[in-house]
Amino acid sequence: MTTTVTKLEKLVGKRIKRKEDPRLITGTATYVEDVKLPELLHAAILRSPHGAANIKSIDISKAAALPGVVAVYTGADILGVGSVVCAADLPGLRKPVHHILAQDRTYFVGHAVAVVVAKDRYVAADGVDLIEVDWQPTQAVTDPEKALAAGAPAVHPEWPDNTAFIHNQEGGDMAQAFADAEVVVKQRIVSQRLIPNPMETRGVVADWKQADKAMTIWTSTQIPHLARSILAGQLGLDENRVRLIAPEVGGGFGSKLNVYPEEALMGFVSMKLQKPVKWIESRRENFQTTIHGRGHVDYLEIAAKRDGTILGLKLKLIQDLGAYHQLLTPAIPTLSVLMMPGLYKFRNISAQVIGVFTNAVPTDAYRGAGRPEATHGIERMVDMLAAEIGMDPAEIRYKNFAGKDDFPFLTAAGLTYDSGDYAATLDKALEMIDYKGLREQQVQARAEGKLMGIGISTYGELCGFGPSPATPAGGWESATVKVEPSGKVTVMTGCSPHGQGQETSFAQIAADELGVPLDDVIVLHGDTSIVQYGIGTFGSRNTAVGGAALFYALQDIREKAKRFGAKMLGVEDGEVVLADGHCTDSNGNSVTFQQIAGAAYRGIVIPTGSEPGLVATRFWEPSNFAYPYGAHIIVSEVDKETGQIEIKRYLAVDDIGNIINPLLVDGQLHGGVAQGLGQALWEHGVYDDDGQLVSGTFMDYAMPRARMMPWIESAHTITPSPVNPLGAKGVGEAGTIGSTPAMVNSVVDALAPLGVRHIDMPMTAGKIWKLMQDSSIQEKKA
Amino acid sequence: MKIAGTSQLPFPPEKAYDLMQDPAMLALAIPGCNSLEKTGDNEYKLSLKMALASLSGQFEGKVTLTEPNRPYSFKMLVEGTGKIGFVKGEGVIKLSGLGDGISITSAITATGIEFAGDAQIGGSIATVGQRMIDTTSKMMVKQFFKKLEKLGLGAEGTNPEAGGTAGE
Repeated sequence: MTTTVTKLEKLVGKRIKRKEDPRLITGTATYVEDVKLPELLHAAILRSPHGAANIKSIDISKAAALPGVVAVYTGADILGVGSVVCAADLPGLRKPVHHILAQDRTYFVGHAVAVVVAKDRYVAADGVDLIEVDWQPTQAVTDPEKALAAGAPAVHPEWPDNTAFIHNQEGGDMAQAFADAEVVVKQRIVSQRLIPNPMETRGVVADWKQADKAMTIWTSTQIPHLARSILAGQLGLDENRVRLIAPEVGGGFGSKLNVYPEEALMGFVSMKLQKPVKWIESRRENFQTTIHGRGHVDYLEIAAKRDGTILGLKLKLIQDLGAYHQLLTPAIPTLSVLMMPGLYKFRNISAQVIGVFTNAVPTDAYRGAGRPEATHGIERMVDMLAAEIGMDPAEIRYKNFAGKDDFPFLTAAGLTYDSGDYAATLDKALEMIDYKGLREQQVQARAEGKLMGIGISTYGELCGFGPSPATPAGGWESATVKVEPSGKVTVMTGCSPHGQGQETSFAQIAADELGVPLDDVIVLHGDTSIVQYGIGTFGSRNTAVGGAALFYALQDIREKAKRFGAKMLGVEDGEVVLADGHCTDSNGNSVTFQQIAGAAYRGIVIPTGSEPGLVATRFWEPSNFAYPYGAHIIVSEVDKETGQIEIKRYLAVDDIGNIINPLLVDGQLHGGVAQGLGQALWEHGVYDDDGQLVSGTFMDYAMPRARMMPWIESAHTITPSPVNPLGAKGVGEAGTIGSTPAMVNSVVDALAPLGVRHIDMPMTAGKIWKLMQDSSIQEKKA
Repeated sequence: MKIAGTSQLPFPPEKAYDLMQDPAMLALAIPGCNSLEKTGDNEYKLSLKMALASLSGQFEGKVTLTEPNRPYSFKMLVEGTGKIGFVKGEGVIKLSGLGDGISITSAITATGIEFAGDAQIGGSIATVGQRMIDTTSKMMVKQFFKKLEKLGLGAEGTNPEAGGTAGE
């Protein structure tokens, strides 16, 4: 049967609309809040109103007596449940035991104290109001530098110095670098606390079935399998009898790369009451109790030659950890150290990280997790150095870039960058924005009294987490490809996408490899009873690691399909090709992929040494991280009267390796840039000295709105990663990392004629206005 | 949070001072106050309804008046807790005699009031927004002195409902 095989168009690389969108835009997606079960109870949580307080007594009698209230539990009831897990470890790390409900004291506003379970959410909330706690407030400390001062209140009485750890890392010879230096620039740079706000807050439903000793937990998480392992441990259950489902997850940005007290707490409640129970986090609780991001105070010193050659970078990093460790809290600042050399070839670094306890909610991974802070540090220092020696910011970058022939490039921090051509990316950006012309325009603008700025950031990022030794829980990812007898394909990924679009991009990869229509592929994830063990979604790893695991599973399917095809065509193994959905022999005879699938399940024609069925599973671990990079340029103008910053142009040239779906890449970049500009311009999580979170609502915490965003001009250079078979690097965090230093560099450049050399974020109009008043005075005096 | 400001009352400091030491008058003048009972020397039990943006609730607490220096100054401590959070404040109220403002020898007919203090707010109300709290507290102070003025001039009866709800 000679057939004409039509060549199929490759889907990888195409702007394909997301397969997940129809359910999202028609409101038919299932989030945790949509889970309804018979006899479902509802929980509300009493939280500490004090930054630090002793609990002298708790009286639950009035709450327990409220009609509709089923149970009230306090710290004394939950001692059999394991405490919150921190997976990160560092030598000498102090780990406070953080119970899922407070014991005799609370150490941050929002600390869970008691849970009221009732027939509905409103009665539960009323019950919370009826609990009487005899508080004895004590002095709180929320500023990490104040917490380190002698005589500061101790967040945990057993550690009066409030120091959780000190981590040192040296690379090269710093003393020599400073001895050789002709110029040293120093700056204190703050990367402020940020409050992640996914559109969907956290939420948990727990359903215990005593007869089966089986627990089902629905939770809004990025890491369903890891969360299951941790929760089984906390609740003392068999891991195989715990089913964890991450249904539709409405955003995470790292804040759901975590296992929180409420997850084990709902499991405990369901086991106690033998009924399912639901807790949905309110927005106010999200502000107070879901992890925050950043929280750095960095003291940086850069040593260089007068010709712009950077010799070394010294960093003292004070990390505001908050009151206890969530899953990865202490690990995040160590990532900043790894990325502190940026894209530059200097050989000497020296870093000291001091992790500080404060009476605040813990900081942890938030989009970029350690790398935005590092990039902001090096990119600000490079600009300040350029200003100091009177060199153009683009020129100083070219002078110090690792060259395209230096790869694999071993950095001063000990990482091996996989591939890149940094100068080519900056070339493209400068050309697209007409850098030379812009600098001429700026001279003109300044002559007219306008405050115009041009800010460049050439960022690097480590992602595709990662080799297992570099991660706390396994750095591999898994994929199963299940071909049904009809030839329809189900992909099960250990990643847990929640907005990144892998239901689409993974379907593109599978459709291309198997030669089936896109619609014949579905991608399942997030349910531990359906999907083989996986690691989850974070660190821009889904495509580079999960996509690679999928690629290899697809190769296994291809091999098996080819053997079936050869058998069906009556030729030897190896005498067929599988392409465009057909298995074809040298005579042009072919069978379709669907016919092969049918035969594999029919089980009559089985190739020697093979077996029925067409399913493959792969666990794949990369040998290294992947290292995307890029050049972001922002042209801005500062209003002299109001301090308002206007972004005139935003250009992003990113090299993220091979691109599976440009539409998804655009979406990731736009979102990332929005979050980065949010930090640069508006967002600030603020605690007062008593430990009250004074930026605890959207009225006080300035989330960026769509109307505040600039038009983003985006382009790419493509340097495939040699680390994985897709050549992909990662784009989830690139926008967040590249944008903040570009924005600050731009505004500092705009205000440079007034004598401004650094501005800490967020650069609110009020802050800029005040700065201009100061500078104007200096200018007049000068 | 710092609270500071000035106000005026159209009667002499002695009268103003006495009004502000009289629990019955204070109960009428404090916005949202339901009751103010004397529980000890210069100590009063306070019950107050407060509304702030979308939150409203009952506060139970105490008021302590210390460092009396009639008619020049006194110190006031307020502590209250309720379902929507807690409030703790401490401040000094200073009174000074004012004449007609034309002649330096004119008789003292009015009182200038200067107050400054610190307030600490926690719980749900602390998350509502510092700007809201700031403007609400300023409004409450304004209402308080306006009411005290009426009471001092005898223009107001002793209707306990007249206090209204703070923040409304």
